Parts: sequence; structure tokens; C-alpha cells
Amino acid sequence: MAFVAVENISKTYNDQGSRIGVPVLRDVSMEIGEGEFVCLMGPSGSGKSTLLTILGAMNHPSQGRLVIDGIDVYALSDERRADFRAQYLGFVFQQHHLMPYLNAIENVMLPLATLPLAAIEKRRRALEVLEKVGLAKKWSRMPNQLSGGEQGRLAIARALANEPPLVLADEPTGTLDTKTGDEIMKVLLDLSARGQTIFMVTHNPANAALAHRVLYLRDGELEPTPGVVEARSEYCRSGQG
Amino acid sequence: MRISTIAFANLRRRKGKAFFLVSGIGIGIGTAVALLSLSGSLREEIGSQMDRFGANIVVTPHSDSLALDYGGVSVAGVSFDQHQLSNEDSAGIRRIPYRKRLSVVAPKLLGTVDVDGRRTLVAGVDFASELRLKKWWRLAGRAPESATDVLLGYDVARAVSAIEPFPGTSADADKSPAHHSAAPEKFRITKERVTIGSREHRIAGVIGQTGGPEDRMVFAQLSHVQDLLGRPGQLSVIEVSALCKDCPVEDIVTQIRKELPHANVSAIQQSVRARAEAVDRLSRFSLVVSAVVLAIGALMVFTTMMSAVVERTKEIGVLRAIGFRRTHIIKGLMIEVVIISAAGGIVGWLAGLLASRLALPYFTEAGAQIELRVSLAVFAIAIAMLTGIVSSVYPVIRASRLDPSEAVRYV
Repeated sequence: MAFVAVENISKTYNDQGSRIGVPVLRDVSMEIGEGEFVCLMGPSGSGKSTLLTILGAMNHPSQGRLVIDGIDVYALSDERRADFRAQYLGFVFQQHHLMPYLNAIENVMLPLATLPLAAIEKRRRALEVLEKVGLAKKWSRMPNQLSGGEQGRLAIARALANEPPLVLADEPTGTLDTKTGDEIMKVLLDLSARGQTIFMVTHNPANAALAHRVLYLRDGELEPTPGVVEARSEYCRSGQG
Repeated sequence: MRISTIAFANLRRRKGKAFFLVSGIGIGIGTAVALLSLSGSLREEIGSQMDRFGANIVVTPHSDSLALDYGGVSVAGVSFDQHQLSNEDSAGIRRIPYRKRLSVVAPKLLGTVDVDGRRTLVAGVDFASELRLKKWWRLAGRAPESATDVLLGYDVARAVSAIEPFPGTSADADKSPAHHSAAPEKFRITKERVTIGSREHRIAGVIGQTGGPEDRMVFAQLSHVQDLLGRPGQLSVIEVSALCKDCPVEDIVTQIRKELPHANVSAIQQSVRARAEAVDRLSRFSLVVSAVVLAIGALMVFTTMMSAVVERTKEIGVLRAIGFRRTHIIKGLMIEVVIISAAGGIVGWLAGLLASRLALPYFTEAGAQIELRVSLAVFAIAIAMLTGIVSSVYPVIRASRLDPSEAVRYV
């Protein structure tokens, strides 16, 4: 049984003041296995972000079901879904969305704020993930004291703080230069190599090629792809990924 | 890391906005505290002034005869008293438990005498008490000093030709209502002595026209009148002015009744009610103004919080996305509101106290003070928090209901 199962999901947005709905996703079905690194590509307006937010338990689909780890996510109440997000999901946003008034370690501890853990345990976990992304020495820096790449890594660290089974990334390299983008991809591939399940939306074919599998979304429908993209980067093949 | 950590960090980051909110609530609370403090002091001052302005309790003997009228109060007839009041009764009044509340105790003996051959009502009084009690008297001449010094009422003085108008004025011109002003009388005393009974007395002064019974009376020292009327130690009436701060005048009446069981003791309801009404009006005015200022403060908190929610849409969306419940969002924002409101309450209380202390001399006589009341501080902080919380409820709930997917996409 797949870790994530998207079953015939459709999403229609209603324009304000109009009774005519705008279909964004049409009968989308897919599966993600545990430890898989799946990329979603597609032109702007194809419904990538909508699918990502549905996977993120934040956007109720008009039709269909999302089952993660055997849990029918949208059958949960709003508050229970918030708990589900805290327990199961880690988000990496395109703009990072770091809290400018919290330092690096506080940003990482943010998903732990509502969990019933001792302060020392929260700190230990945050330092551990900061170590993973290579920012342990900069734990006290404010986000604006970090480079773009470091901010991206900090955003990934925040997504990992609650040890989520599934990491969702929305074009994490979209606004970064090539070098910084590569830096972020390296962290994600490292995580993937350690068995982290990752679902990433990207416009960048080179980054998509690093994933285990690429899905292509066009006009709200998943297109059949030529199968699993085997072409993982030299980085992966060399045994580091 | 707790939700409160985020709230504190947010306040530190948005110092300007926090300062603005604290100032807004502080101004509202400060105004309310200043008004309430001032009105509290003014209330006491007005009450105390009204208490001093004339008597509010009258003690008369039990009697079947009501032959004479004095100041709207029926006084027992001189000849038919069944139970006389005495000097000892006047001293007894000063022994009641609330004796410190008594501002003036003014004993009197009333009787009729011939003044230059005219039958006239004479009052034997203790001038020191009487002049404190009758602050509206405008005295031409001076206060009596010796036993045979007398004060004449205006009509008596005219009848015995003891006064004449100043050149250029007429006696009738002096019919303005009685008041405390020290306006010079428009007459002059032309006679030095007057015969009361068979004895000569010196006219110490003439009381300006009051429109009251005083105009038709002669006032002399109590002991002298007691001798003159052949009623040593006797009294007709005792007027009492009680300071009614923190105690109803009825309590004082009850205590005097207990001390003087043979006397009629009654509160002059008109003066008691006038005092209560003046004090109540001041209190109501302060409350209304305070409520208006607080409402303006609440509106400011509301608009600021609404704009803060819009400004923080992305942040709230991120928090929701990473697993914060709606209640966590509400908790975080409410912690901020409570901190700001409490700070506003403290600042407002201090500012209000300072403002009222600075403003007090302009409103009251020297000596009045603003009390440092813990209850007012607690009240100020509680009202500030209540105002902040109530005016933030809608923005905060709205924030908690933000669709996280929309909020994240918002930026």
C-alpha cells in the first residue's frame, strides 16, 4: 500500500460573484511510496500549487480522497487536520517564509511550539536538524543575517524539525540563483538518500531529473509520463545521493 | 519555544505598533483614571462644601406648640415648651460616635424682645458657629465681640433707622439674591446703639438683605439672650452641619436621637438630596466621558488589530500550514493583546494619576488630594485588558479562520 494515495481528486474554484466554477484539477490519481522523491512539473496555471496544498492537508478537494499513511486526511476536522500537518508534514515554501523576528534555531523550533515536548528536547531536535543542513554554527543568526542559500537550508531544517514522514516543497529553488539552488537540491537529495519521502513542485527540469519520479500536470490532469525518470544526477549515482 | 515565545518576539519586532497600541489604551485609561480620580476628589470637596453650607440637621425640643418659624423649620414656641433643650444638649451632640463628622453645631435661643420699642424676634447664638454656618451672610460692620454687641437683620436695621443708603443708591437696589461674594453693601450704618428690652446694646453690624427670616431678627450672644429672656441655659433649636463623606446623614441623625431622646432630630431632606444629586451628576458625567474615551480607545485597538491581521496573513498562513490549530493562533494573538492591554492599563493608570494630581489645584481648593487607591489601579488594568480583549475578538477570530492555503499563496 502506497504511503500517499491521491484518489480521483478534483478541485474547482468558484470565482467571486460568479456561479461558474473554474476547474483546476480533474480526476487526479497518483501514489507516492515511502522514501520516494517525486517531482511535479507543469506550466503555470496547470494546478501544481493546488495539488501541493491538497497534499498539504490545507485545501479541501471538491471531489476525491487523499489518504496518507492510511488516514483519510479530509475526513478529519479542521483542528485534527492541523494536528495531522504538525505530525506528518513538513513544508518548504518557495519564499521560505521564515519568521524575521525569530533567530535560526527559533525558526526551526516553530513547528514544535505546539507539541507537548520539554524545551530542552525541542532545542535538541532543532540543533540536530540544523546540523543536518549545515547551519548548526549559525543557530543564533537572524534570517536576514543568512545568505539566500542558508535561508533555503534553514527553511528545510524547519520542515524537518517535527520529523515528518512527508516533506512537501513548493519550488524551493524557484527564486534562487543556480549555485544557491544547487545547494538546496543537495540538501534535499541528502534527505532522500536517508529515506525521506519528498514531493517537490518545480519548473526546473534539471532539478526534476534528480528525483526518483517526475509527474507532469497539464490543464489540471496528470499526463502519462515515460515511467520513472532514471536519469538521476551524477551526484546521486556517485553514491552520495 | 512556546506560543508565548512567538508572541513576545512579535511584540519586540513590532515595537512601533505595540507602542502605538499601548499609547492608545493608555490615553483611554489615563483619561478615565484622571476623570475618576478628579471626580472622586471633587465629589468629596463638593459634598464637604455643601455640608458646610448651612445646616443639614435640626434639633428641636418635643413640643405641642409650633408658634414660631425659623428658616423653614418650625421651632417650638417660647412659652409652651414641654421639653426644653439646654446647653448640655449642645455638648451632648458633640459626644456622638460620628462627632468628627460634625462641622458646625450652632445652638440658639429664640424669643421676642422690644427693640427700640418694636416687638422683634431675637436669637441668642454662638457667633463663631453661626458665622461659619451662614456663609451666605454679607455682613456690614464687624462680628460681635462683647456680650452686648448685636447684629441686626436688614429689615430691623431699617425699621430702627440704623442704616441709610449710600448717596446715589437706594435701599431697594440692594435686592440681589444672597450669595457669598464680598460685594460691599449699598448702605451704611448710621446708628451705634439700640435699646433691647431696657438695656442699651452696641450695633456691631448689619446683615445684608437675605430674603430670609434673618432680615427680621436681632442676633446677640447666646448667654446674654438667655439672661435677657430669663431662660438661663435653655435653647430653642440646635442646627448641625454634618460632613457626610462615607456616611449617610441619617446615621448621624440616629446617633443624635440616641444621645438626645427628649428632642426631635431631623435631617433637612432638601439639603441632603441636593448634595446627593450634585455628587451623582458629577459621577455620571465622569463615567460617561470615561466610557466615550474608552470606546474611542477600543475602536483604535480594533482597527489596529484588523490591520495587523491583514499584515500578518502570510505569517498566520505559515503557522497554520506547519500545524498550528486555530486555537493556537487565537492564543498567540491574545497573549499579545493581553500584554499590550496590561501595559496600556499600567501606563494609563500612572499617566491618569499624574494628570489628575497636576490638574487638581485648578479644580479644587488647596489641600484637596488624590488618593493612591490600589483598587483604582486594579480597575484600570482590568478595564484596559477587557477593552483590549473585547475589541480584538473579531480580528483575532478572523485571523484564526484564514484559509492557510490562501494565506500562503497570498504573498
